[in-house]
Amino acid sequence: MIAVALAAVLGAAPAAQAESWLPIDPAELAMTAETKAPKAPAIFLYRQVDRDDNVPLERQYIRIKVLTDEGRRFANVDIDYDRTREWIHDIEARTIRPDGSIVEFKGTVYDKTLVEAHGANLSAKSFQLADVEVGSIIEYRWSDRLTDGSVYDSRWLLSGDLFTKSARFSLIPSRLFPLRYSWPLGLPEGTKGPIDQHGTIRLEAHDVPAFVREDHMPPEDLLKFRVDFIYVPRDEADKDTDKFWKKVGQRDYRRVMDFIDEPRVIQAALAEITAPADAAEVKLHKIYARVAQFHDPAEDAAGPAEAEARAKHRAKNVAEVWQRGYGSQRDLDWLFLALVRAAGLHADPVLVPPRDRYFFDERFMNPGPLATEVVAVTLNDTTLYLDPGADLIPFGSLPWRKTAVHALRLDKDGGDWIKTPAPKAADTRASVTADLAMTATGALEGKVTLTCTGYDARRLRTHERREDAAHRRQFLEQQLQALIAARSTAELEDSPDWTDAEAPFVASFRVSIPEWASVTGKRALLPQGLFAGRIQRLFEHATRVHPIYFDYPFELAADTHIALPAGWRLDSVPPEAQRNRDALQFRTSVSRLDDGIRIERSLHSDVVLLDVKFFDTLRGFYDAVRSADAETLVLSVSSAVERH
Amino acid sequence: MQRHRRNCGLPLLVAIAMLIMTVSSPPAGATSMPDWVKGLAALPTPEHDDRTDAVTLTAETELAVDTSGRITRLERRAYRILRPEGTSRGTFQAVVDAETRLRRFHAWYLPPNGKEFELDDKDAVDVALNIPNGQLISDMRVRVLRAQGVAPGSIVAYESQQDERSYVLTEKWQFEDTIPVRSASFRLRLPAGWGYQATWLHHAEVPAVSEAPGQTRWLVENLPAIPIERQMPPVRGIAGGLVLALVPPRGAQRGFRSWSDFGNWYLKLLADRRQPSDALKGQVTMLTAGARTPLAKIQALASFVQSDIRYVGVELGIGGWQPHKAADVFAQRFGDCKDKATLLATMLAEIGVPSYLVIVNTQRGAVDEATPPHLAFNHAILAIALPGDARDPAPAAMYTHPALGSLLIFDPTDDLTPFGQLSGPLQANYAVLVAPDGGELLRLPQLAPSANSLARSAHVALDDQGSLSGSFEEQWRGDRANAQRYALRAAKVDTDQIKPVEALLAGSLTNFDVLEASVGNLHALDRPLQWRYKIAVTAYAKLAGDLLLVRPRLIGSDASTLLETKTPRRLAIEFDAPRHDTDEFEIGLPPGFEVDELPPPVHLATPFGSYDSETKLVGRALHYSRSLSMETVSLPAEQAPALRDFFRAIARDERTTAVLRRAVRAGL
Repeated sequence: MIAVALAAVLGAAPAAQAESWLPIDPAELAMTAETKAPKAPAIFLYRQVDRDDNVPLERQYIRIKVLTDEGRRFANVDIDYDRTREWIHDIEARTIRPDGSIVEFKGTVYDKTLVEAHGANLSAKSFQLADVEVGSIIEYRWSDRLTDGSVYDSRWLLSGDLFTKSARFSLIPSRLFPLRYSWPLGLPEGTKGPIDQHGTIRLEAHDVPAFVREDHMPPEDLLKFRVDFIYVPRDEADKDTDKFWKKVGQRDYRRVMDFIDEPRVIQAALAEITAPADAAEVKLHKIYARVAQFHDPAEDAAGPAEAEARAKHRAKNVAEVWQRGYGSQRDLDWLFLALVRAAGLHADPVLVPPRDRYFFDERFMNPGPLATEVVAVTLNDTTLYLDPGADLIPFGSLPWRKTAVHALRLDKDGGDWIKTPAPKAADTRASVTADLAMTATGALEGKVTLTCTGYDARRLRTHERREDAAHRRQFLEQQLQALIAARSTAELEDSPDWTDAEAPFVASFRVSIPEWASVTGKRALLPQGLFAGRIQRLFEHATRVHPIYFDYPFELAADTHIALPAGWRLDSVPPEAQRNRDALQFRTSVSRLDDGIRIERSLHSDVVLLDVKFFDTLRGFYDAVRSADAETLVLSVSSAVERH
Repeated sequence: MQRHRRNCGLPLLVAIAMLIMTVSSPPAGATSMPDWVKGLAALPTPEHDDRTDAVTLTAETELAVDTSGRITRLERRAYRILRPEGTSRGTFQAVVDAETRLRRFHAWYLPPNGKEFELDDKDAVDVALNIPNGQLISDMRVRVLRAQGVAPGSIVAYESQQDERSYVLTEKWQFEDTIPVRSASFRLRLPAGWGYQATWLHHAEVPAVSEAPGQTRWLVENLPAIPIERQMPPVRGIAGGLVLALVPPRGAQRGFRSWSDFGNWYLKLLADRRQPSDALKGQVTMLTAGARTPLAKIQALASFVQSDIRYVGVELGIGGWQPHKAADVFAQRFGDCKDKATLLATMLAEIGVPSYLVIVNTQRGAVDEATPPHLAFNHAILAIALPGDARDPAPAAMYTHPALGSLLIFDPTDDLTPFGQLSGPLQANYAVLVAPDGGELLRLPQLAPSANSLARSAHVALDDQGSLSGSFEEQWRGDRANAQRYALRAAKVDTDQIKPVEALLAGSLTNFDVLEASVGNLHALDRPLQWRYKIAVTAYAKLAGDLLLVRPRLIGSDASTLLETKTPRRLAIEFDAPRHDTDEFEIGLPPGFEVDELPPPVHLATPFGSYDSETKLVGRALHYSRSLSMETVSLPAEQAPALRDFFRAIARDERTTAVLRRAVRAGL
């Protein structure tokens, strides 16, 4: 939101809603289904959003066709708003029965407070349309008057929970600020981009599919068709992309420099951390390790009074951060930047759009997504991207959400665009070594060691960082059991190092798997994929709409030794299985040992973002892995044992 | 519900989270700790194990009634946080609405080191009640006090004083909790002439101490925690408590001393609610015109209310208990459970069929035969007195009443359970029948396992590489059909409709393709939901030398890990409903293979259920059949080891394999 200095420019009070409703198309009244949205409980026949940022006022018009019993729930309407800066008024609604008769809404519009505190009040206007049945059309409209003297960014969200047959949008931009708008995902098929008609931006859309949620998809908000409207301060407005980012970069660089400009305190701090004779690389590691010990303000506060005080008083500069010993992630990264520079190394601040929230494109000239940061340090002609402000990130690594993204490296001239390093599969590995013995009833018992590195280790550590030993034990045992593709019990024997981000995460367990082998009269049958739990149900649905998205590449490995009971012998083993599809690799093999068998299994996934057209290939790969996991070893019992 | 979020600024849900996370700062050092808080640090921690998140140091409740009958409740609670997960005890809530003014709401935080911290009303955040599907309009809100930085070792305490609404003069004090309680007390202050009737719930009676005229106190100490276990009874159904019926002087409206009192109170709420409008009468005539039998007429009306009146609750003040007028509900075509039950009762009366509201808690076990009368319910259904000629064949959900005759129990809010049936949570549940001469507690019927069943059959063939193809048919009944219908109806796009089948198959198979799938009787509630699908599974059976290994249990699982816990079961095990499952699979053998070994048959018979499984060779096909029948809705904890062994035996059986051997050709 941008505050407008001159309230005098405000327009007159908003006009009332248009007197008449749009005409009803008899074909729409008669329709029983929409061929482009089969089985849909309801569809938007029509949506209209008209906004005037000079008033400021937004009017919405909704027309919904109810196609099934389930679709009647769309007759319960909630309009969310912030009572401190919005006024919802002129709510009108009606039901058109399948026979064309009309029931005007004359019920109560309830004003529900959703949350109220400290000068904020989030509320909802709530009403229920009457006499709604399958085949009805329901429609309603309202006006939303926004606070005088303000201009707000906004968006047209084209994708909704329901199929949209037709929609119209318009926006009259504020006369006071330059407006930039973009549609980063493109627009639905057949929809032309927004046009500017005499100062009003307009867009029409037809046949917009309902939004579908799927496993392993990019952040939902990034997949919805939308048009974003962003007001920018006049001094930053520029039609040329390079010039725009140069202004933004210069402004942000000045802010960083102002924050770190505390040479006296920083030099004293550096003297505490490093020795003058330390090599540059040693100094860098020491500074990183020291800053990584700093905490988030909420952590280790001595009670709520201190937590409250810390949350309220943000650091003014790096001197304050150093003296307090805590700070926000950004505070800590800029402290690191100041120390590294004081140590004589070249280092630059870098603004990073985190990919768990944004798929950033600098062409849209929106600095909002540059919400996180790292520090670029040049050492021996190599650039290292470092983030000691993030929790439990080892030296040389970045949180996954800051990897493989375009980021703005700042300097006094504005800076340049760089790409942060992409993670590699080998950096994140979960491996299991198991030393098990099979009993005569087919149970497996023994010791299992789980070793995790990279983002898997960080995930486990951060998940449990505020928990106690009992919780961590239970959590780890459940993690291991989830890896085992059958009912099991696990007792943690050796706990991992929960705090050292540089160390691998190693835990060992005493494990029992009662029903792994199926014992028939004279044989025991063992599926070879004992530690296959993690992928057992991956991509179980054959259809796919969205791209496939993993947070980071990874490797899984298992090395299992199973000692056989006396009198049992291995009759047959499955052939080695191997799949190699560049980014996806899998191998499993069984070998005979003197006292039993050894099963080795490895899976390598270098996939982060994959176009939906490759979904069948990806699913086929995991089907092949699961099929190999289900391959069976056959053991037989000697006749002496059988008789016994 | 259609929810429209704002097109500008902060997304609403994020804003809500931020508001709850944030508290405004109190004046520095301005804590005004009362004496009862100052003394908390010295109190001993009650006995507990290393998994205990927190303990209650003290829990005091004081209920004061003034001479005008106005009731004020004072609550004081203090917890010692022992583990990080116990920090949630530092968030305090009070439910408020237009009639229950919160006069005082304070919280204190005493960290193990550092300054004390105090919050009060001005730091509170009001949040709307969390209503599923947004289908409820209510004036109730939750007022929340929460501070950041609460760590193990802290003591947290709060005090609230609130005016109570007094629809009925019955109060419940629940003193047991899911954490140990060192001390809990309840003080009752009554004006002259008032009395009370005390009934203890799940706890031995504790003597009352008379502190002064009209002032009585009960004290309980060193209570162990109620364990949290999967499929346990509801906490309110097992926690110790005291129910007090207050008795004002001179025959004024008193608290419930019997379920009959409860029924009479509810009858008054219903007094003017069942007047039909002309439109309603006309609808009854229209709906029943084509029905030939009394039962068909009843069913036509029940079906109308069940499916054509959509669920919306408008519950303001007494509206949480009192239905809207039937004529209004009919005109609006929406209402909540008690509205729908009242409307149906009104419509039935038009065809001369009596019916009675039944008030129930949807958590079976929250109320039992020993529960004293109080407002322990959250749902309303209907008992329909079936005329004599409407009982052949009798619907399943019948209750025989000595005076009112054969009553069909029907839930008009549940739009998935067919007429004549009853959903699992209501079966064998205790409810109050609001009869013409008052109320009575009754046990709702428990249906046979066959009413909640899955019958699955398959005809498939294997080839000599182990690949399998064929067709399956499933017939679902009861709650399990309801769950499928609910998921299918909620599908927003057509591809979502196949996902339940894919999810089921993915639990048992790999590398499969669904070639065809169709669902039948999705809207025909009186018939079983039907799935038919054809699948192909690559390498289902595994080749091992000259052997082919086939798991005859193709899909589905009846095993459960419910009781695979490290600690012995302490509470009863609750099931949704009795159930009965059968599988009949025919697996055609590939040419050139013969049976070498078959899994042994399994027969388990226990007091709570039975399981039978067998694989036979019939001609050139394996015939696999099994059935599981669970007869009970609740099993005592002592039976847990037997139930665990029962499920383990099923799990073992589900993994068994038939071994086929490639036949040796003679004469070569």
